[in-house]
Amino acid sequence: MKTIDTDVVIVGGGAAGCYAALNLQRNGIKPLIVCKGLVGKSGASLFAGNLVISGRLLGNTEENARNTAEFLIKYHNQFLIDQDWARRCGQWIANTYYPKLEAAGLYFRRDDAGEVVTSPGKIRSVAANVQGNSGVPFMDLRRKQVIRAGIPRLEETVATALLHKSDGTVGGVFCLDIVTGETVVVAARAVILATGYSDRLHTRSTGTREMSGDGIAMAWRAGATLVNMEMQWWHTNDIAHPPSWQRMQVYPNPMLGSEKSARMVNAAGEEFFNQQRDDPLAFGPYTVQLKALARQVRAGKARYEGGYYAGFDHCDAAEVEAYTTYGKVWRQLGLRFPEQLVETAVTSHYRQGGIDVDTQTMRASVPGLYVAGGVGGHSNGLIALATYDGKVVADGVARDLPGLGAGALVGQEIEREARRLDSLRQSSGDGPTPGKVKERVRALMWDKVGVEKSEAGMRSALDEIEQIRLVLLPGMRIANTGKTANYEWLDAIDVVNMIDTCELIVHSSLERKESRGPFMRTDFPLTDNANWLTANVLKKSGNGLRFEQRKYDLPTFQPDFVTKDNLEVAW
Amino acid sequence: MVAEAPALSDVDARRLGQAERHDTLAARNARLAPGDEIVVRILRSEGGSVSEFRVPYQKWMRVLDVLNWIAENKAPDLAFRWFCGSKMCGTCGVRMNGREVLACWEAAEPVMTIEPLRNLPVIRDLVVDRSPYERKVASLEPWLERHEAYREFPEPLTHRQMQNASKALDCISCMCCYSACPVIGLGDLTDFAGPAPLVQLGQTALDPRNDPAKVARSLALTGIFNCVSCYKCEEVCPAAIPIVSRIIEPLKAKAAQLVPAMAKHSFALRDIVAARGRVDPGALVLRVQGLRALANMSRLIRLLVRRKINPLKTLLGIKTAAAQAAARILGKGISE
Repeated sequence: MKTIDTDVVIVGGGAAGCYAALNLQRNGIKPLIVCKGLVGKSGASLFAGNLVISGRLLGNTEENARNTAEFLIKYHNQFLIDQDWARRCGQWIANTYYPKLEAAGLYFRRDDAGEVVTSPGKIRSVAANVQGNSGVPFMDLRRKQVIRAGIPRLEETVATALLHKSDGTVGGVFCLDIVTGETVVVAARAVILATGYSDRLHTRSTGTREMSGDGIAMAWRAGATLVNMEMQWWHTNDIAHPPSWQRMQVYPNPMLGSEKSARMVNAAGEEFFNQQRDDPLAFGPYTVQLKALARQVRAGKARYEGGYYAGFDHCDAAEVEAYTTYGKVWRQLGLRFPEQLVETAVTSHYRQGGIDVDTQTMRASVPGLYVAGGVGGHSNGLIALATYDGKVVADGVARDLPGLGAGALVGQEIEREARRLDSLRQSSGDGPTPGKVKERVRALMWDKVGVEKSEAGMRSALDEIEQIRLVLLPGMRIANTGKTANYEWLDAIDVVNMIDTCELIVHSSLERKESRGPFMRTDFPLTDNANWLTANVLKKSGNGLRFEQRKYDLPTFQPDFVTKDNLEVAW
Repeated sequence: MVAEAPALSDVDARRLGQAERHDTLAARNARLAPGDEIVVRILRSEGGSVSEFRVPYQKWMRVLDVLNWIAENKAPDLAFRWFCGSKMCGTCGVRMNGREVLACWEAAEPVMTIEPLRNLPVIRDLVVDRSPYERKVASLEPWLERHEAYREFPEPLTHRQMQNASKALDCISCMCCYSACPVIGLGDLTDFAGPAPLVQLGQTALDPRNDPAKVARSLALTGIFNCVSCYKCEEVCPAAIPIVSRIIEPLKAKAAQLVPAMAKHSFALRDIVAARGRVDPGALVLRVQGLRALANMSRLIRLLVRRKINPLKTLLGIKTAAAQAAARILGKGISE
């Protein structure tokens, strides 16, 4: 077992993790990135389609700027967001984010005359090179910045547990190199979790293969408080077939250089959603689409698994493809673009909730533990927001570091984790493979904790989770017990995290007795601002859990009703 | 929902052969119907054995879906790498029926033999070690060093200036081209960086904001003139990047301009053709290798016997009738 000492260990190699590392390094603090995939090539950041303009950049009017803020607070977060944090973030995006990205070389798409191409409309956006693919050059740039800065990376390495120092503070992570099968202990003065927005806990999930709710599960075990775990965001029109394309989205956002965007059509051939017509303020209209789809499903004209269609058959191919990659899906399937529509389905997307943080410093409730980006419970949904967290956490850690000791890690904890991983690798029960158990977990979440939930379904989900934990997990069987590139072993590690995270999500979903945005309960269909305009705070207590409510400050934007049928609420 | 094959007049010239064989994307997606059985042979690393599987076809199945089905139902120990499933991470490249494909992007075929990518060490089954490539890319320092300080957002820049770099920015570093490249296949015989590292370099080296001195330093490490322009890289690129025409050739032109010593062979060839109206291999050897050519006498004799070189013509500098035309044409071309 190898041991590495560093100042700060960052778990996650996406937008937040990379930016935190780069900022720490610039402040003279030694970071190390542990990435379950490859830095900049795994994680949700890769999927950034386009980049929203905030403030008065690129000819944004005062109204545009306000619309962007309003959209973020309402449509992305249904008011469950720290508005002061959002304001600071918006200023930083306008003043620092864009200039710094461009100075580092990111190519914001121009036309031949040299104008930055934007999407018109109430909220405007730009693309890095091509719309639909912005995350690729964006994260590739981050990867190269990290390499250039000489920041050490442990790639294809999974962090399996947070480690503690003798004073009880978090001070390291236990890791497994998936390629070699070697274990590594990283000792640090602070740990930053930046494991992302997505956790791939449903049969159809966005994000990348390696995600399995690890950040949430590790933080919970270490005693961290969580918040709004029930708030799950969905993509409403992702490609229905084949399964590997389940996160390939027919982007409903406004198009660069065009007044149009994708439209959605039900099984009867009737259009039921077109962002430009139905809700021009819904820049990323995912929740608005989802509500429109729920109506189609109830009318028997669509299923969440498919049977409805999306596309650009009201546009010219040249218009769509001037600045986007959208036609590639059709062409690759041999479909005519844009004349044909493609079948789409719902996919679970980002978790709006996550680990509870102090947004001034990104401290979690456990000393030594910090959070950046999507795994935090304070915001949702844009690569710029995740990046801002990278800056805030680097500043927060820099301020706190003198008070964070470099004491030794608890040896027993390390040995226990090593034994746990070893025994998972030797799993020799007479039950299913870890991969099958993963699919079973995802199926139960899809069936019982999907778009529309009820108490009965979720109680049954809890029973099934308990069965899986008691019967299937101890009985798992692994075909190959070797150490090299053993993805079965990884699945066995993942599925333990998945089960724990799912259980917390179901409990949180039962606790929120209303419907809000993408969180839909058939037994509580109203959005209830009288009782639930609050953070649903989940705390560990002994071996159990308890909930608290925490009110949000609403200095700038407030909802204009007390209770209303969620499907009638615009956001 | 399957489109008819397009008329040949609508087909991109490079795809004419495929179109004539009716090997269109529409056809590739229509070869199999749900319920058909796919025969899959996978080269495993343990003992170099081949495992055979029969997989039920599902609608629009990709190669990756086939691998996932096998891992879930038949061989849970099958090792293969993927992250995004949607042509963005570039980690699922494999060889299928002898050609490099991105598993998440390529339609499954009725009979498939799947092997790991070439030119990279195999870790297990279909998982290759990307680190030789990563080291090469890092050594080229493919980042921007501005020769003028950055002022403010947005800076002056047009898409016309970025048109080649923009193509390179579509690269997902999937290694398909690196596996297909015959020059990389020669191993250490050349110092060629390979198509993928060149595309990575092209992202910033073809960007007008980059410092030419920095670009020159990077290009000097690429061995770019070892590229034989065989277009294998372009053929397999899942991101459809015109690697030779829009990246390597512009980079060669830049190298010829910024690091002329690298292009000695190309300059010599052009001068000889301009002067004589034909390629004179003897003159080429003399110009490029000079007296060092004499060190390999046995090869020289072989070339003589096979009449590949004619020392008399070379030394007398005899022109062909085409010399005037060649001089005229080449005089207009790249001359620096």
